[in-house]
Amino acid sequence: MADIKVTGDLFVPSDIDHTLSEKIARKSTSVWKDAMRRFVQNKGAMVSMVIIAIIVVMAMIGSVLSPYDIDDQDLTRSNLPPKISTLSWIPLFDGKENGVDTYQQRGITKDFWFGTDSFGRDLWTRTWQGTRISLIIALVATLVDVFIGVVYGGISGYFGGAVDTVMQRILEIIAGIPNLVWIILLILVMKPGLLAITIAILATSWLTMARIVRGQVLKLKDQEFVLASRTLGSSGGRIIVRHLLPNSLGMIIVNTMFSIPTAIFFEALLSFIGLGIRQPEASLGSLINAGYEILQIHPYQTLYPGLVISLLLICFNIMGDGLRDAFDPKLRR
Amino acid sequence: MAYYILKRIGYMLLTFFIVITLTFLSMKLLPGTPFKQQNRLTPEQLNQLMHYYGLDQPVPVQYVRYLWNFIHGDLGGSFQYGMQPVTDFLWQRFPVSLQLGIEAMIVGTIFGILFGVIAGMYRSTTLDWGTMAFSVVGFSIPSFIFAAILQYVFGVQLRLFPVAGWNDPWNHVLPVISLAIGVTAEVARFMRTEMVEVLSQDYIVTAEAKGLASSAIVMKHGIRNALIPIVTVLGPLTAAVVTGSLVIENIFTIPGIGTQFVESVVTNDYPMIMATTEVYAGLYIVTIFIVDILYGVIDPRIRVSGGGK
Repeated sequence: MADIKVTGDLFVPSDIDHTLSEKIARKSTSVWKDAMRRFVQNKGAMVSMVIIAIIVVMAMIGSVLSPYDIDDQDLTRSNLPPKISTLSWIPLFDGKENGVDTYQQRGITKDFWFGTDSFGRDLWTRTWQGTRISLIIALVATLVDVFIGVVYGGISGYFGGAVDTVMQRILEIIAGIPNLVWIILLILVMKPGLLAITIAILATSWLTMARIVRGQVLKLKDQEFVLASRTLGSSGGRIIVRHLLPNSLGMIIVNTMFSIPTAIFFEALLSFIGLGIRQPEASLGSLINAGYEILQIHPYQTLYPGLVISLLLICFNIMGDGLRDAFDPKLRR
Repeated sequence: MAYYILKRIGYMLLTFFIVITLTFLSMKLLPGTPFKQQNRLTPEQLNQLMHYYGLDQPVPVQYVRYLWNFIHGDLGGSFQYGMQPVTDFLWQRFPVSLQLGIEAMIVGTIFGILFGVIAGMYRSTTLDWGTMAFSVVGFSIPSFIFAAILQYVFGVQLRLFPVAGWNDPWNHVLPVISLAIGVTAEVARFMRTEMVEVLSQDYIVTAEAKGLASSAIVMKHGIRNALIPIVTVLGPLTAAVVTGSLVIENIFTIPGIGTQFVESVVTNDYPMIMATTEVYAGLYIVTIFIVDILYGVIDPRIRVSGGGK
């Protein structure tokens, strides 16, 4: 190493431009853009979103792709295994069961992509119709649950004091009753069906949302920007709508993402124990239930609805995790 | 602490009272009569039966009588089984459900803690990703789907375990695993988060600095501190196991409360439906109570601020 003599004249005082310290180098990012950026970077969440999108599209158009209706019964074609002629090199779609080509045996030339059930109904149509019903129940239950939860939690948190105490006691007592008991009692009283299931699921799921919104509102309402708004003469309603809710929206969205799979799960559970959707209508749960009864003989009948519901639940949960991390990076570990 | 416990007991009783009332009211709203061959009965016979079981009296009278009997441990007789006391069935079936639930909770918690600790220690490695992937899958997929898969693969195809029944220890394997997967997944997720949090604390750095072996650090400081918050997930998990066991019992034909419940719903056996619902509610409420008290003992801040969660 060369010997360098370090002397004072090697150093020159640098210029300090004081105007630069105030300069904003980049465009400011809003909380939303920031969250979106983090969310898009999350590979798992993006893949999940794509899978959910595909399933949703299939739920909408899937049943149209097949010429059969949801209740087209024909016993001559009962219990056919899945067959897709162009994909028949894949063992799952060769139309054979235990090595026997059921299609050839019965002289059936048409393909049933997911097979048929014991009434000869096309399972492709039924699976996607069922997915549609399950998704509709989940969506409606979740939307109403967000609404009730936000209103209840918002009022409770904003007004505080006696109002809050009373509302929280009520909530605590309702939460003390297990979901299952609540849901089953409601289903028993109403006639099992689409509406009954939706209401029953709703009856328990708004509690979490109300708690979260209340927590957010409690935290936010004493902050300076709210005080500033109040000083400027904002009414209570304006503060809630313009300041408290937009700032809690992240948490609300995240919780909504977790409400959807819970609703799908409870629908499936109810249909599985026979308290859900009735024949000839189908939901993922009722299809799994019907398939389960002959699982030992024709396992393919449970496979596809089971696969769809599993994918939906996993993807919604991963997406929920992704959103939570995106909105609150502190939680990511 | 005594005040806190008293308050919780008060809530517990109030909640249970409301559950009883709700159950009673919903039974009154149910369509149909509980008598099996009601189509074959003449109206007179039906009226006689209704009168015999006190079903023709005004609802408030029936309610007060129900509460009175309830306090005296009489939950009525099963319509389905010739008025045999409902409590007879409960005493017979409750231990089975309880055993299934407890076994699943123990197995799930042990494996959950194990997986969580491993994932937290080897953060961002393949091991961590694998454990977390398992956790998301286990957490998302309902236990009855696992049950169906396990029953088909290990029961029907491989014939390793029996597919139904409860008397033999081998019978327990599949149902307990089906229920425990969800518990394992949830506990593992939580435990990993806690481990990561705890391992980044200053006292861990101190322990490293004074030359403690890493195994000792994890055992003495890491796991011990990470374990405390696990108590909080036990409450919701119990609820999940109770919900799951209802279906699992039916899948594996286990003679517990769950199979009884589904059977009584199908046959309109009012007293049985009410009793099983109340057992489920009671179980849940007592568990939440115990978890709250436990947490209050472990973390005194909870008591002061008053709220459970």
